[in-house]
Order: sequence, then structure tokens, then C-alpha cells
Amino acid sequence: MTYHFGRGRSRWLPYLLLLPGIIAYFVVALGPSLATAVFSFTDATGLPGAPVNWVGLDNYREFLFLGQAARDNLNAVGRTLIFCFFVTTIQFALGLLVAVILNQKLRGRNFFRTLYFMPVILGAVIQGLIWSLFLYPLGGPLAEFLAIFGVRSEFLGAQPTEAFAWVIVVQIWANMGTTMIIFLAGLQTISAEYYEAARIDGANRWQVFANITWPLLTPSVNTNLLLNVIGSLQAWQLFLVLLGYRNGTQVLGYLIYATGFGQTSGSVTSSFRQGYAAAASIVMFVMVLVIGMTVQTILRRREARIMG
Amino acid sequence: MMRRIVLLSLIGMLLLSSALIQPVAAQTTLRVLVHQNPPMVEFMEAFNQQFQEQHPDIVVDMSVVNANDLSTVTQTRLSANDIDVIDMFGFANAVQPYMVDVDPPNWQQLADAGLLMDLTDQPFVANYDAATIADAGTYNDRVYAINLGRVSYSGIYYNRDLFAANNVTVPTTWSELVQACETFNAAGIPCMTAGGRDGWPIFVGAYGLIGALYPDQAALVEGLWTGTITWNDEAALVMWSRMQIYARDMIEPGASGIAADAAPGRFASGAVAMFPGGTWYAPAIEAAEPEFEWGYIPFPGSENVEDNQYLFGKYDQGWAVAANTPNAEAALLYLEVFSDPENYQAFVNAVGFIPTQPTAQLNTQLGEEVAPYLANFRVGYEQYWVAPRGVGQYANPWASYFQPFGTFDDPQALADTVQADLQSGLDAVGS
Repeated sequence: MTYHFGRGRSRWLPYLLLLPGIIAYFVVALGPSLATAVFSFTDATGLPGAPVNWVGLDNYREFLFLGQAARDNLNAVGRTLIFCFFVTTIQFALGLLVAVILNQKLRGRNFFRTLYFMPVILGAVIQGLIWSLFLYPLGGPLAEFLAIFGVRSEFLGAQPTEAFAWVIVVQIWANMGTTMIIFLAGLQTISAEYYEAARIDGANRWQVFANITWPLLTPSVNTNLLLNVIGSLQAWQLFLVLLGYRNGTQVLGYLIYATGFGQTSGSVTSSFRQGYAAAASIVMFVMVLVIGMTVQTILRRREARIMG
Repeated sequence: MMRRIVLLSLIGMLLLSSALIQPVAAQTTLRVLVHQNPPMVEFMEAFNQQFQEQHPDIVVDMSVVNANDLSTVTQTRLSANDIDVIDMFGFANAVQPYMVDVDPPNWQQLADAGLLMDLTDQPFVANYDAATIADAGTYNDRVYAINLGRVSYSGIYYNRDLFAANNVTVPTTWSELVQACETFNAAGIPCMTAGGRDGWPIFVGAYGLIGALYPDQAALVEGLWTGTITWNDEAALVMWSRMQIYARDMIEPGASGIAADAAPGRFASGAVAMFPGGTWYAPAIEAAEPEFEWGYIPFPGSENVEDNQYLFGKYDQGWAVAANTPNAEAALLYLEVFSDPENYQAFVNAVGFIPTQPTAQLNTQLGEEVAPYLANFRVGYEQYWVAPRGVGQYANPWASYFQPFGTFDDPQALADTVQADLQSGLDAVGS
């Protein structure tokens, strides 16, 4: 058997080249994840020098079963799923629509591709600032526009349901560019010959989309769905920037951040509870894992059925 | 030969330059963390400049963070041993003996973890009054912080010109306050504003209402913990009903979009008649509109004038030093210079804190406004409260639970929810 890197010691070269990456993965990703799992069984505060005691399943018991706080936590889990559902479906559909449109030969399509992708490169703080100004209820652009029709709203400061809906809007605006780019890349791999053949056979636009574009986009569909599902389940930055710790709006990701860094009381006198926050992180990890694996299994089966 | 000449010349120049150049004194970079409060930050920048001029071997690197993020940044930078002098908030609400199974507040966790330097024997501690050091800097008989001032958060700023123009007298009872707001609203003038975008200014603005109905706030906290007081008893229902009026009818529509830092400017612009807020806003109001005529009164939350004579508040910002700082000498020098009575007086003048050094005086308009109530200053509920584990998210006396900021529009329903959320925590810890 010919071996690319030669024989003897040279055979170890690829492993040597992989080593920095593996070390980086352990130090940056796997190590902290394992540490989080261990911390979830302790009362760690995250402060150096503070005693760390093994508390067994106490943090999980508290998160899932202790008092009204546990019910609030489960409500946050429910809200996370609702957030995931709306963000995934709307972002997916919009990204696909925009990608299909911008895959046509249109004047200025590169400008529009850049325009739709631009929010992705802004950080959550800038995204939040832009939308806070846009939704400013005392003379902001949208407030002024709605005032023409006699409608007024507090937007981000409104009832939790409306405030929550605005975060969904901003999340989609912020990430739709990624979905669009992945679809665009997928669309450009589809050979023009298929479309030509379909047109010769007399297929209309919908038939072309349903029978050629959609099936051949399967790898992009799978990638986007998985990214959207996992990304929205883990979202928390926009909740912090746009709403802060506000009753009836927290999702699990933000709850973990607020608990771990002592921001749950709405004042500056709450506690550091990183052990408890780690347990909540593991709950979220399990949720993401189960949903992610289920979605991936379904998508793989679909891909196998379509692509053969 | 030529090479040798060049080489010798170079060596000669090197020796000459090393003889001429004075050795550069090693500079210490002192890392200071403060929270965002524009007048305080402005003062600190000027103070740092002056400090650096007096001590050229020290460079002050000051970081400013939002008040909501202070505990997070304090934790992370202390963990990374990346901070020397820390702005400490709320060094007051220690766990009381009747509190069961609670998480200590973050300052207590920092002290327990040995992350704060023991300042007990530092001479500058004596510049502050003993009661302040005991109440807001001492833990387990050791001093970990020097507190820089008290603030009241239970007062209301009012626009003197708008009051005069609309023939409204300064309210001294709850009914008079309601009447005043109705008059302003009828005239198309929003009654009150608040920095609702940051969340806390809405409920902190109504803390005076709690104070007027529960003058002994330490007893209130103990009563809630022991069950002798509930958030849905008769007295509490009065509070909730008034909080609803405050949130629904008194605060202007759109206040949820105003940032805490922007609210004093909006009040100073003359757009609204009143502004329920802390004394720390006074310098910002004066800076925004120096000619603006304003006054400050305790929140008249009770129908009894006598109950409305108290100012409730807290010990505000304090300085602590990281125990493991490599720049301990510079950090202690920084606090010593800051604590010099002359510098402290300048700080109080700039920031508007009620002084905690006995020689200092609040020589500002705010000082004149609060002078009649200073003898009645009391530490507020928030400074005593530590929640049991398992409490629900509504277990607080917050006006922001009411519409338009929250979901509730029925005081009885909210009172029952708040008590149930609190009780679930008390039951969970077996209190």
C-alpha cells in the first residue's frame, strides 16, 4: 500500500500536524464542556479561592423542581422552543426566497446580496443598538410611521409577548444573511442543463422549483435547518441587549447567563451561582442534543430518499 | 581600517547615549473599575489626571461599565487578576440569622473568597464616619470597603415652572400627587418620566411608595421572611393599588424606551412635570440645563403627611481593593489621595452623594433640597432583602409588573401572584 507521507517515522507526520488542532479543540471546546458538566454537581461560584463543594444532583433538583422558580425555568424552556420554531421556520423560508430571487440575473444583485448579508457581520451589541433606535417609542422611525395610522406601541418595552416577538424579528434580520448565502451556494451548484431540459418539457416555474431546485438543494436545506435550530436554541445575546432580565421574556440561554453572572434580581446585589448555571447549561445541552439529533436523523433519511 | 573606525565610533556612541539617558522609572498601571454614572465618571477622569500628575510613576487605566454589568465584570476581572481598585455596590444586605438557605450577595461572596483586601488598618478609613464604615464596609469585623456616599432613591424631582404655570402645589400626600398628575395630564403635560429601557428605574422610582407605607424596612424584610407580613395583606393591597396608578397613569407613555442616563435630560428639557428618581441624577439634571428650576421631595406615598417625611435609600458606590493585586501600594495610595477631605468634598460636589465623611457637606442645590429630610434618612428595602432559593420571578414589590410595563392590570391578582411566588421559596427552604 502506498502511503502519502512515506514510511517509518514519516507516517506520524499527519498526526503531528493534526495535534495543534486537537489540542486547541480540547482546551477551547471539549475541556470547558466537560468542566461544565463537573461544575454542575458543585456549588461553584466562579470566584477563585471560593470553596467548591460537591452537591450531587442538588442543582438539577433546584432547577427542575424547587418552588415557583422551577416552573419559571420550565416556562423559559417552553419559550426557547417557541423562539426556535418561529426563528427557524421564518428565517429558513425568507432565506430561501431571497436566495432564489438573488440567483436570477438581476441588475444590482451583488449589491442586494451584500445588503442582506450585512447584518451578519455586525455584532449583537450593534444589532441591538440599531433596533433600539429604530423602535424608540418616543419619536423613533417606526413609532412616527405608526402614529400616522393612530397606532402606538412601546415595542421592546411593551407586553412580554410583543417584546419577545420583536426579538424574534431582530434574530431573523441578524441571521437571515447566513441562510441566504448557504442557499445561494447550493443554487449555484445546480446545473443549468436541468432547468433547460425542464423548460423544453414545458414545466412551469413552480414545477421547476418543486421538482428540480428543491430536491437538489437538499444538502443546503439540511445545513440551514440544523444551523437555524441549534443557533436559535442557544440564542441569548439579543435578549440581553434588547430586553435585559425581564419577566416573561427569558429564554434558557439568557437565564443561564443571568444566573451565572448574578443578574437575576434586576439589581446589583444578586449572587454568583456558576454551579447552578452549569446545571442549567447541561439541561440546555441535552435539549439541543435531542432536538438536533432528531432533526439530523430526519434530514438524513430525507436526503437518502431524495439523493439516493 | 575604516571598519575599525566605524565600529569604535558605534561603541563610543552607545556608551555616550547610555550615560546620557536617565534610567526610565518603572511605571505602574493601576486598573480601576467604575460603573456608568456620567457626573461620577467625569469627576474620576479629572481626579485621575490630577493623581497621575502628582504621581508620574502611576498610570491610571479606568474602565467604565454599565451598572447592570458591574458584578459580571467584577467577577471576571477579579478571576483573571486583572483589576486593582473596584467600585463596590450595595455592601449592605448581609444574610440575616432568620434567612434560611440563601445565596449570599455577591460582595459577601467576594469577601468570603478572600478576593478583597483587608483595609481595616489603613489610616484613610478613619476619614469616614464610623457608622458608615460599620454599615457599608465591614464584614466579620474587618473593613473591606470605604463607602463614598449615601443616595436616596425615594424622592421625586419636580419642575417648579410647570407647577407654578399650572397652579399645582407641591404634593405632600398621595391624593395630592394623584390630583397633580391629573392636572398635568389634562393640560397635555406628561406627569412623570423614567428611564424604563433599563428596567430598574421604573420600580426603583416607586420605592418611595413602599417606604411611605412600610417606614421600617428592616422590619418589613424580617416580616416577609417570618410570615408576619405578606405581599397580599390589606396594607400591601393599598401599595399595589397605588403602584398601578403610578405605572399606568403617572409615568408617561413611551418611557420604556428611555435609557436611565437619558431620563434626567428629558426631565430637564421641561417636557414632563416630575421625575421619580435617585439623588444621583441631580448633577445630570443641572448639567443638562443649568438654568432649569427644580425641587426634590420625598415620594408622598401615604395619605398621612407625617409618613411622607422620610427619604429611603442606600449606601452607593464604595472602593475596594483586589486582595491579590500586584499593585497594592499604588491602589492604597489611590484610595488615600481620594479620601483626602478636600478631594472627597470635590467628589461630593460633583456627584451629589450625601457625604459619608463627617467633615464634608453637600453644598449643592440637591443638598439644600434634601437637608430637611436628612435626619429622616433610612436604608431601604432593597438593601436588606435577600431572596430564598426557589422564589418565583414575581417575588418583589415592583411597580413594573403592572401594565404597560408588565402583564398585570389587577392589584389583587398581582398581590396574590407575588405572595405565592415568595411563599413557594419560603416553603422550599422550610422557613
